[in-house]
Amino acid sequence: MINTAQDLKEYKKRLKRALNNQFLRAAMGAFAAAYKEAQGRLLAGVDVAGLSREIAAGKDAALPRLPELYEAFKAKAEAAGVKVHLAATAQEANEIIAAIARDNGVKKIVKSKSMTAEETFLNDHLEKAGFEVVETDLGEWIIQLRHEGPSHMVMPAIHLSRQEVADLFTQVTGEKQEPDIGKLVKVARRELRKHFLSAQMGISGANFAIAETGTLGIISNEGNARLTTTLPQVHVALVGVDKLVPDLATALRVLKLLPLRATGQVITSYVSWITGANECRPAAGGKKEMHVVFLDNGRLALAQDQVFSQALRCVRCGACANVCPIYGLVGGHNLGHVYIGAIGLILTYFYHGRKNARAIVQNCLNCQACKAVCPAGIDLPHLIKETYCQVLQGEEKRPLKNRLLRQVLKDRRIFHFLLRRASLVQKPLATGEGFWRHLPFFFGKEHEFRRLPVIARVPFRDLWPRLYQKVEKPRYRVALFGGCLVDFVYPEQGVALMQLLKDQKVQVEYPLGQTCCGLPAQMMGEKEVAREVALQNLAALDPADYDFLLTLCASCGSHIKEAYPKLVAGEPGASAKMQQLAAKLIDFSSFFAKVLKVKPEMFKVAQKRVAYHSPCHLCRGLGVTQEPRELLATAGLDYVAAKDEDTCCGMGGSFSLEFPELSAQVLAKKLDAVEETGADLLVTDCPGCVLQLRGGMAKRGSKVKVKHLAEALAEAKK
Amino acid sequence: MDVPNLPQLFREKAEAVQVVVRDAADLAEACRYAMEIARRQGGTAIAAPGWDPEVLSLLQDQCGQARIEVLTANLRGQADRLHTGFTRADWGIADTGTIVLDSSSEDLRLATMLSEIHIAVLPQSRLWATSFDLEEELNRLAQSPPRYLSFITGASRTADIERVLTLGVHGPLELHLLLLKDCRP
Repeated sequence: MINTAQDLKEYKKRLKRALNNQFLRAAMGAFAAAYKEAQGRLLAGVDVAGLSREIAAGKDAALPRLPELYEAFKAKAEAAGVKVHLAATAQEANEIIAAIARDNGVKKIVKSKSMTAEETFLNDHLEKAGFEVVETDLGEWIIQLRHEGPSHMVMPAIHLSRQEVADLFTQVTGEKQEPDIGKLVKVARRELRKHFLSAQMGISGANFAIAETGTLGIISNEGNARLTTTLPQVHVALVGVDKLVPDLATALRVLKLLPLRATGQVITSYVSWITGANECRPAAGGKKEMHVVFLDNGRLALAQDQVFSQALRCVRCGACANVCPIYGLVGGHNLGHVYIGAIGLILTYFYHGRKNARAIVQNCLNCQACKAVCPAGIDLPHLIKETYCQVLQGEEKRPLKNRLLRQVLKDRRIFHFLLRRASLVQKPLATGEGFWRHLPFFFGKEHEFRRLPVIARVPFRDLWPRLYQKVEKPRYRVALFGGCLVDFVYPEQGVALMQLLKDQKVQVEYPLGQTCCGLPAQMMGEKEVAREVALQNLAALDPADYDFLLTLCASCGSHIKEAYPKLVAGEPGASAKMQQLAAKLIDFSSFFAKVLKVKPEMFKVAQKRVAYHSPCHLCRGLGVTQEPRELLATAGLDYVAAKDEDTCCGMGGSFSLEFPELSAQVLAKKLDAVEETGADLLVTDCPGCVLQLRGGMAKRGSKVKVKHLAEALAEAKK
Repeated sequence: MDVPNLPQLFREKAEAVQVVVRDAADLAEACRYAMEIARRQGGTAIAAPGWDPEVLSLLQDQCGQARIEVLTANLRGQADRLHTGFTRADWGIADTGTIVLDSSSEDLRLATMLSEIHIAVLPQSRLWATSFDLEEELNRLAQSPPRYLSFITGASRTADIERVLTLGVHGPLELHLLLLKDCRP
């Protein structure tokens, strides 16, 4: 049965095991590549953003009205001969369904796929109550026979090979089965057909419960849902109460995007719209005995939650797993309890508790790929961090790293003092290229996948008095937000920026009261710390004083733009000021390409082949994709496109320290793709990515140099 | 979207999901097609629920000569025998290559699910561009329950083992659509 790691130590053991599973790695890798290719092909010409917005708006309008929609559905369905139940808990839902089976003299039950039934562990309950339960979705049947949970919401047996399925079917049928997929599917058809024809009850889920007409909408590719709802005399649908929608139009809109995102299909093979108790010849009166059991299990309260209600927009397409770099490495059993993928990290906490969520919820790069693909526009990375926050609040003791962070980060003076001290201590251990010669003793071997930079001898803030230039009649007044990496690790990136700004008539200020943006705190679930440093930065950077808040760090930038307003939402005064601050934020590339509109005349003719890495927090966080590539062209650099430029480099801030083995694998894919281009130089516009990529290239002894775009442009400048 | 392009779009989208699409001049030709498919594949029974007596007699004429039995009711008890399901489609949706069947009758559902091959006849006049064009009609039907409406797009399929697409896991292994030439209203 499902057994999710309850602590980080056990979890890391399992992750290691998954990374060593060659079949899983190959299967997941091939799946991720095929999915990405199909999405690009199928979605050309589809207004995905528009549809997502409509789906989100439809769901958001329905969620606060769930009780009312339930009553409307119930009235319509009952008038058409259906019995409608509302179960407050998973246990209650299971008991209602077992009672229906008992009342109807049922012995055998066939089931079509229902994630809600997985959530309540309905099969276990019914089997204990003496019923025979047969899953009929091929993947679900396979995992039922193996006593496992699903490893994907749409493809539950994606972690298994044809050989494993052949061995399983050999056991089940008592005949030798070959590992031939066509033949294995035939075996399932033959075996399951017998069960369909002999079962007295069918249990299904539903994708939609349409209040206006009391209709259930069920999508399926195999057609098992149609047989499950047609052949047995009794049909019970177990439906999350969040599946209620006001009308058919809302459901049809979801149907436009759900199959595309789920499996890359324009539509599934079957969509059934069932209203009322339909004809069923063997049943009493020739009518089906039909029940709809709505499951609450916290959903009605969640629907009212200001932060988490959007989790209920989920249409269970599984796309957030499909694009997750971590899912692509370790599969679903390590990324969810019952619900899998990014949404799984959130729902596990709400439906299956803190103990099951506490380790897995930390396994998020915050790369935003899930958010970008979600057909309902759920801000998944944000909710994952909020979930981690909730988990920590329930724990007796916070992890040591969290306690340290709380002590240090809130006080800029202590934080910066420690960074300066570190710079002194490490001095004898630094190489000429600015790496640690050997990693300090407290780093384990698993951290050796990249070389780590040393803290700069002189931080940017100490260079500032020499760099500062007073500009007469400036075109723009700009406050520079350094962020920890530019300030204390890579001040040369800031220096490069100042070289580029010479003669641009831009008045730059570097307010010294600024501190860490707070993203590391957010990543570690320390929302309170994140809020506090956000307010400190607001105090240091009054948005009234300048036209732009410019940053070289995509991660700081996207955190300021997206998270800052949320951190102080509704707080008198701070809320409005923070909005102003966020509105003035601009990234390096946009500032140079769109605001300053720099011209080719500014640059020499360079002869470098340059690859580009698109930082997650720039391309998805800030939605900036064209500007950096335009700048490369403007500067006369020979840009060669690499594969998967917008896939995460594996840094993810503190993620790479917590899960170095995963970070290393994500990085390796990235570096391979860059080396394949034959480029001499890899450019990116986030110092966090520079840290990861430069350290990785150096570790491999690669000839490819890694630079921030600002440095590359400064070198190309006349 | 231009109305005249609908059959073309419908055909493209249906063929993209392995549907065999053919034109049929009239119902007699459609019946002959169904019989031929069953005969060629060694089928002994065609399930043909929901047809008018005239169409049924056309089909029976064809099938009688080929010694294929035509079944119209009580299909549940004859599940093992059904080779071809021959039904009408109520509507078509061009942008997804979908047919829509009001399959509130149990036999109609079973003919389209338990058969090895499903052949559906769609009059061209009943083709619409998108599912939204059918919204009103579908709602009207749902307002008079019980009602079991089915969107069918291609044959029954799975990719549950190693993501390899395999047709015919539970329902039909093949779906054939016969586009019936008739006048648009």
